[in-house]
Amino acid sequence: MSLFVDVLSGGVSGGTSIMYAGVGETVSERAGVINLGTEGSMLVGALGSYAVGVETGNPWVGVLAGAAAGGALALLHGYLVVRRGASQFASGLSLLFLALGLTSLFGATYVGQPVVGFDTWEIPLLSDLPVLGPVLFQHDPLLYLGYVLVPTVWFVLFKTRIGLLVRTAGERADSLTVHGYSVDAMRIGAVTAGGVLAGMGGAHLATAYANAWFENMVAGRGFIAVALVIFATWSPWRVLGGAYLFGCAIALGPALQARAFEINQFLLDAVPFVLTLAVLTVLGKRTLSASPAELKRVFENAPPSG
Amino acid sequence: MSAEAKVADAEVRTVPVVARVVPVIARWVGALSVALVLFSVLLLLKGANPITAYTGIWETTFLRSRPLQEIFVQMTPLVLGALAVAVPARAGLTNVGGEGQIIMGGVGACGASLFLGDTASGGVILGAMIVCAMLAGALWAGLAAAMRLVAGVNEAISTLLLNFVALDLLLFLIYQPWRESPTGQPATKELVDVAKLPVISGTQVNMGLVLAIGLAVVVFVVLTRTKWGFKISVAGGNAEAARRSGLNVPVLILSALLIGGALAGLAGMIQFAGVEYKLRASFGYQLGYTSFLACWLARHQPFPILVAAFVFAALSVSSDSLQLDAGVPAASIHVLTALILIAVLGFTAQRKKATA
Repeated sequence: MSLFVDVLSGGVSGGTSIMYAGVGETVSERAGVINLGTEGSMLVGALGSYAVGVETGNPWVGVLAGAAAGGALALLHGYLVVRRGASQFASGLSLLFLALGLTSLFGATYVGQPVVGFDTWEIPLLSDLPVLGPVLFQHDPLLYLGYVLVPTVWFVLFKTRIGLLVRTAGERADSLTVHGYSVDAMRIGAVTAGGVLAGMGGAHLATAYANAWFENMVAGRGFIAVALVIFATWSPWRVLGGAYLFGCAIALGPALQARAFEINQFLLDAVPFVLTLAVLTVLGKRTLSASPAELKRVFENAPPSG
Repeated sequence: MSAEAKVADAEVRTVPVVARVVPVIARWVGALSVALVLFSVLLLLKGANPITAYTGIWETTFLRSRPLQEIFVQMTPLVLGALAVAVPARAGLTNVGGEGQIIMGGVGACGASLFLGDTASGGVILGAMIVCAMLAGALWAGLAAAMRLVAGVNEAISTLLLNFVALDLLLFLIYQPWRESPTGQPATKELVDVAKLPVISGTQVNMGLVLAIGLAVVVFVVLTRTKWGFKISVAGGNAEAARRSGLNVPVLILSALLIGGALAGLAGMIQFAGVEYKLRASFGYQLGYTSFLACWLARHQPFPILVAAFVFAALSVSSDSLQLDAGVPAASIHVLTALILIAVLGFTAQRKKATA
């Protein structure tokens, strides 16, 4: 395979877990809640899917378990920040630690255990296309599910009533209250949905991409997803493009090393973060104006200083 | 000090110390008990005996001299890392970048020691390491401050993202330019003995602890008893009012973040010259995030930060006992840490109106 195809194909498969988590975080932030626990949701999703996959032998049941685990962790975040007024940053980081500990405690027995993961499904005809075939159509079914995820989430967020309510919770919470809706319910629902998607991202990582479980295997992908949402200025479509772009940046190193190029992987690993910082700086105040209004309040509300 | 501030200050002082301290202690005891009970349930689920686990932790962590000293060693960077959150917080800024600033502090200290080599005297190397580490930490926080002042980028986001850039920079350095030997685990050359932080006599605890406690006092005095401390709290409370009363808000924001970064950089230097002596891939791992949470637990107050840092350090040290006595992985201790945080974050604060 040519380097070009290699990198693109690696970017799509490596970017998928980031894309799931990024789309989930977009939903959450659109409702006005930032979740640094995304990394944690991915971790419990990865272990949940892997453990249940091992026990049942069915990777789809595993994905359901991973989604549920990711959602449960995010639900706790939603409850703490929405109902108990906890700091969004502190709560998110606490839940990351909770996930690190829980997956270490319950994951030890699954290290090195074989799992029936997702097989590659080559899509008939399409997989034979030059370049596009191997890049887009020679992957696992969970990755294909990702192709319909973004249009679906976009449709729900922007074309349905429930999407409008979620976005209103993130833009003008007061007007939601005036019309008799519960802002808290919208926010907790959106955060939980985000966690479900992050859990599915973790499931893709464990049962389709790596086909293994090991401690702390998400390795910062959840934070890449948080960066990605800002990089994409809260648009699901740009999250899709950004996830594959970041995936390609990460896939470039190994692809070059396989061809005996001397390349330091870590400069490439920094690309998603440096690009996001660059976008933030260049767009400056325009990024801020694109962000959901209630999210701005999260940042502007200073932590207690006395 | 304005008239209102004087009145407010007087009101705080009229509340007896006991009345202020008792609820704080009650809050901690309550949170700790709930967390311990929940953690016990999880240990039982895993087939481990919680009683054995807790008595093991108590006996091997608190009753023996070495682990107890280890707690003080580990709390030092946490104190400084938490102060690095507390100072910008006073100016209304969220510094989630301790992780990266601590790494940059380690990189600065290591760079200084590599540059000076074995020829310089210990004192010179130590001095150079402190200066370079604080500058490197301040630079990293300064990037976030500059982005905020020039382009209006929120500092919580930029400091968070810069953590990963710092980590990748550290990995780049130890895998190539600064790597000591091409075989084995990538790491830098060990710091020469003369430049290692001296220990408090009769212990294994390095002098960083004294420095950290001293700086907690300094930060307390600066935040509560100086003009600058008052000005940044005004800017943090209401930037518009601060501007109208003639305060230079951008300079205040910049200075608060730079000082925070310098404190975190110093934490990195102490971790390097007092604990690890070389940069490895795991250098300072999670110190920044733990510090952030310690600062939160302490409600951003310098003296409670000392207590919170001690608790987190004790939890970290007790993870060894958990592995040896209860037979569960060391990282499981994060569950207990997180449960304590969740109990305190969620169930002790007055309910606020959403967000914050």
